[in-house]
Amino acid sequence: MSNKLEIYLEEISHFLSGRVEREEILSEIRSHVLEKAAAEHGETGDAALDKVIAAYGQPRQVAEKYLDGRPIIAPAYRRYLFRYTTLLFAFHGLLTVFAVVFKKDFIFFPFLFMPRLGVIEALMYLPTAFLADLGVVTLVLYFITQSGKEVRLPWPKLAVDLDEVKPPKKGFFVSRIGTAVGAVVMLAITDFALYLFSRYHTIFFVNLDFANPRPLFTAAAGRRLSMIVIAMFAASTMTLLVKLFTRSRWVDTISNVVSLALIGLLLRQPFDNLFAVDISERLLPKIKFGLRFMLLFIAVIVTVDLIQNLVSIGRKKLAKSV
Amino acid sequence: MTDPDIGSMETEMNRGFLQILVLALLEKDMYGYSMVKHIEGLGYKVEENTLYPLLRRLEKNGWITSKWDLGEDRPRKFYAITADGRAMKAGLLEVWHNQNRILTEITKENLHVQ
Repeated sequence: MSNKLEIYLEEISHFLSGRVEREEILSEIRSHVLEKAAAEHGETGDAALDKVIAAYGQPRQVAEKYLDGRPIIAPAYRRYLFRYTTLLFAFHGLLTVFAVVFKKDFIFFPFLFMPRLGVIEALMYLPTAFLADLGVVTLVLYFITQSGKEVRLPWPKLAVDLDEVKPPKKGFFVSRIGTAVGAVVMLAITDFALYLFSRYHTIFFVNLDFANPRPLFTAAAGRRLSMIVIAMFAASTMTLLVKLFTRSRWVDTISNVVSLALIGLLLRQPFDNLFAVDISERLLPKIKFGLRFMLLFIAVIVTVDLIQNLVSIGRKKLAKSV
Repeated sequence: MTDPDIGSMETEMNRGFLQILVLALLEKDMYGYSMVKHIEGLGYKVEENTLYPLLRRLEKNGWITSKWDLGEDRPRKFYAITADGRAMKAGLLEVWHNQNRILTEITKENLHVQ
């Protein structure tokens, strides 16, 4: 028996895995290929088999013709993949914020266990939560599709779809001018911050008298926080400069990831012995809470933007592959 | 005017046609390769990798049967139409004749319009 034919059949077999009639299908193809090679080339040697096999088709393409063609998710339900994932993730994200701010576990047995999380853990957890939510929704839509039943999935008529959120359409030059102005402003802010840092080792002050400046934070804390904030300014400037040349969503995605990492670093800084100025003991916990909440709020907004960008990239790739 | 690219439309039309063609052909027992050659001889081409999955579906529906013949120098799988297959073929041919009649009438009507 020809080794080439057996390799070809083995490849088809790989793509047919799970089908009970696999051996029978392979026997049919083997019989046909040998029959055709003998009838049209007078022999069943490798050269003849090569030609017949090439004409029969690529193994995956051949195997797919035997599969029943039922999609994993029916076209009618595909929109719901992003719709429901968005809803589920919004709920998940909210619980994550609660778990961080109120320092509590949340259990919705058997669906969800949200342990008490630190800020960094929460930021690391959100992308994982998004993928888990996407997986759960995919699984539900898969079972609905495979059941073959006509299920009407609920969705409010006025709701906005995440996958419909598109950047506003502006002219090439109008959008580039906005980006250029933003880049120049951010560059100026970054430069000014760097100048302040090199001169005073902090960029946070309680007065605007630079001849006799009074730093807001203690020396070590001021230096750490200033470096992180300057890194955030620099990242924004870089993003805007790169966006002058490309509108790729990957630029925004990378920018989102860097921002999230820097926000995480900010939130990790110790809040004790932070201020260099006198603040009443009664007010201090409220300021800490307010700062944490504000940074978490920004982190959630950045995460939502990150997901929008990833969804947009994913949809573009899907559209290209169809 | 350039020739229209009818490739994908033809593939869609072929799906139904191939089922009737195979059912009509199998009034006489045939094996896969002989069916391909016979159809080619009639001026039509059927993809080999399309024919076998189709035969499998028709068999699953009970419209044809198959059996291996191991008597020759190499094994061949012969197919034959069943009673249910004949009834199906008659129904499909009726549909096809009706569609043909409708298209012929519309073509005639269009000739009068021009």
